[in-house]
Amino acid sequence: MITDFYELDPYELNSADKEEMLRKELIELTSLHKDKCKEYSNFLEAVGYDAGKINNVADIPFFPVRMFKEYDLKSIRDDEIFKTMTSSGTTGQKVSKIFLDKETAMIQQKVMVKILSSYWGKKRLPMLVIDTPEVVRNREMFTARGAAIIGLQVVSRDTVYVLNDDMTLNYDVLDDFMNKYGNQRFIIFGFTFLVWEHFYKELLKADKKYDMSEAFLMTGGGWKKLESEAVSREMFKSKLREVCNIGHFLDHYGMVEQTGCIYAECECGNLHASIYSDVITRRYEDFSPCDIGEKGIIQVVSALPHSYPGHSLLTEDEGIILGEDDCPCGRKGKYIQILGRLKSAELRGCSDTYADKYGQN
Amino acid sequence: MQNLGGAVIPMQINTDKINFLVGDEAILCSIQYNPALPMFSDKMLGFLEDLSRKLMDDKRSRSYQDVMSYAYWIRKSSLERIKKSYNTKLARIGRGVSFHIAPSNVPINFAVSMTSALLAGNSIVIRVSDKDYEQVSIVCDAMNELLSGKHASVRDYFCIVRYPHDDEITSQISAMCDIRIIWGGDETIRRIRSAAIPPRAIEMTFADRHSIALIDSDYYMSADKKEVAKGFFTDTYYTDQNACSSPRLVVWFGDRIEEAKESFWKELLLLVKEKYRMEPVVAVDKYAAFCGLAMSAGQARLQSDENYIMRVRIDELTDNVLDYKHGGGYFYEYNAKDIEDILPVLNKRCQTISVLGIDKDNVRDFVIKNGVQGVDRVVDLGQTMALEFVWDGYNMIENMTRIVHA
Repeated sequence: MITDFYELDPYELNSADKEEMLRKELIELTSLHKDKCKEYSNFLEAVGYDAGKINNVADIPFFPVRMFKEYDLKSIRDDEIFKTMTSSGTTGQKVSKIFLDKETAMIQQKVMVKILSSYWGKKRLPMLVIDTPEVVRNREMFTARGAAIIGLQVVSRDTVYVLNDDMTLNYDVLDDFMNKYGNQRFIIFGFTFLVWEHFYKELLKADKKYDMSEAFLMTGGGWKKLESEAVSREMFKSKLREVCNIGHFLDHYGMVEQTGCIYAECECGNLHASIYSDVITRRYEDFSPCDIGEKGIIQVVSALPHSYPGHSLLTEDEGIILGEDDCPCGRKGKYIQILGRLKSAELRGCSDTYADKYGQN
Repeated sequence: MQNLGGAVIPMQINTDKINFLVGDEAILCSIQYNPALPMFSDKMLGFLEDLSRKLMDDKRSRSYQDVMSYAYWIRKSSLERIKKSYNTKLARIGRGVSFHIAPSNVPINFAVSMTSALLAGNSIVIRVSDKDYEQVSIVCDAMNELLSGKHASVRDYFCIVRYPHDDEITSQISAMCDIRIIWGGDETIRRIRSAAIPPRAIEMTFADRHSIALIDSDYYMSADKKEVAKGFFTDTYYTDQNACSSPRLVVWFGDRIEEAKESFWKELLLLVKEKYRMEPVVAVDKYAAFCGLAMSAGQARLQSDENYIMRVRIDELTDNVLDYKHGGGYFYEYNAKDIEDILPVLNKRCQTISVLGIDKDNVRDFVIKNGVQGVDRVVDLGQTMALEFVWDGYNMIENMTRIVHA
């Protein structure tokens, strides 16, 4: 039961104990979704699923995360839908639809709080968002950015958006926020390239100095874009320290299909899996699990999804498991590095618009 | 430029954005006034013969199997044989200007399309893709040399161009053409069709298609397995299994299906691992195609335990199975009890049936007897990529002519 997990600190289990606990939970979820979701049960049949043959977490069947764009996958009745989360993802126009009932939505919030409190304490903190309020207001442009912000609102209070709709920095809002909260712990949240373009670069130009030594700068969205402009993670941190003395950096990896289970960056700069979820990297040649230190396609498992069959998913991201149970920060479990999205392939062929049903869209 | 009586008014075409690989602005603007040539004219046969020789002599060609196959296809003896096979009792002449939209992913296709149009007696305007394929340069270089020397007399019949996706230019060329040939799939066809062609003009379109293979397991067990694997590799992985003619489904017949399958895929895997580079994302894409069908139908069974050749067993062939297709080595397999089993997949989208140990004429007769809407071609396994003048159900050359009846 998921409630058994709540008794534990999110990073307290070593690999053997976590494997045991998570495997049982995932087998239960597999059987729950098999009973409740026709498409998922068809899928299990097609891969020849046999619960008796699941010896470890890596044996749980997985399907590509993009299937949420092709099918309405849910394990609840329509009248039990409490909230539908959507995300355009990155591969085209179709949106992922994730159906939540009250129970799963509550579990997600609870786990998010538990994970993040390991970093900044149990209190809900004020949050400065490096984005425009438009990003959550306008459902048309509701993206991973919006989803992440809404997710964080449950662990924060007094969310303030510091960018205007034209993406310029609103100094009045920033000054107000700093006057009110600057001397206590607070969260700054933004996608890396927005923080760099519209926050760091602006502050650099301004003649005002801010002291944000109490702030936790939580970032998401990956590093590809900044790295392409030759801004490394180290440079990002040192520059932000220079310009506004940011005290704590907290990058994270997560996705709307497994909201709640984020992989957050520790004091040593590693992204950690909590007891609620795990990462398996797989070789593209045969999907066999990679060794520690070997690059592979990321599969994520999570004990949270009860209302939709999203407990074991193959992402389109590449990453490396750096180690397990031995990060100097003291957190147990795997810690990982995300390398970014798999390079898309261009196949030859007669048709130049080869955007088939399940391909590039 | 020929004057056919009366004033010749050059067509107004906005050529600012056009890059001419062969021909120039003046030729393009007056190409519609060229006299049409008879089918299999000596002028064009002579031009193609020399083009064949030039391509074979070009050192660069050697690294391109497609350029070499094309050169071989248009050599003198090959074209003479084709000419003989045509009915010459009817007097046929070209229709005028042929406008070809070539696909972006098959470099040599533009030349194949051009060849039929020339043998039919037409002038050609070809829009090739923006992608800078060396195969395109090799062919255009050879053409330019011939057209500025020995074959200068037909220089006015050729324009090969590149331009960015521009509806205005497409409309202007469409407005003066007599035949429009659109390669490149459903989306391209839809887009180009918004540009009108003249009332008398005809159009040939090459839509998205897929293909299947039929194998008799008893025959296979006594065949040269390495040769079969080589042929099937050419049919599939050589074009990322993404040509219209690449088999997506293998239907097995006979009594030794299980042993035949084992050996067939094992031999193929050896070749694939040696010769094919699969991008990691293709493994995910293929798996997603499988999951798509699995979730909707629940009758698919994943057979392979590696991703270079992803095989999915189907227990019942339905009309929509091949909607869940993917290139890069993704195959459906079906064990047939009777050839009637395959009827549901012989829909409009089905193009080529390749066969091993099964009589082609029987398959053709089966198609006709059942009146199915698909299947334009039955060939031996290993031959799906062969260049042919009959394609997608069209006799390409005759279709681009008109008959002068007397």
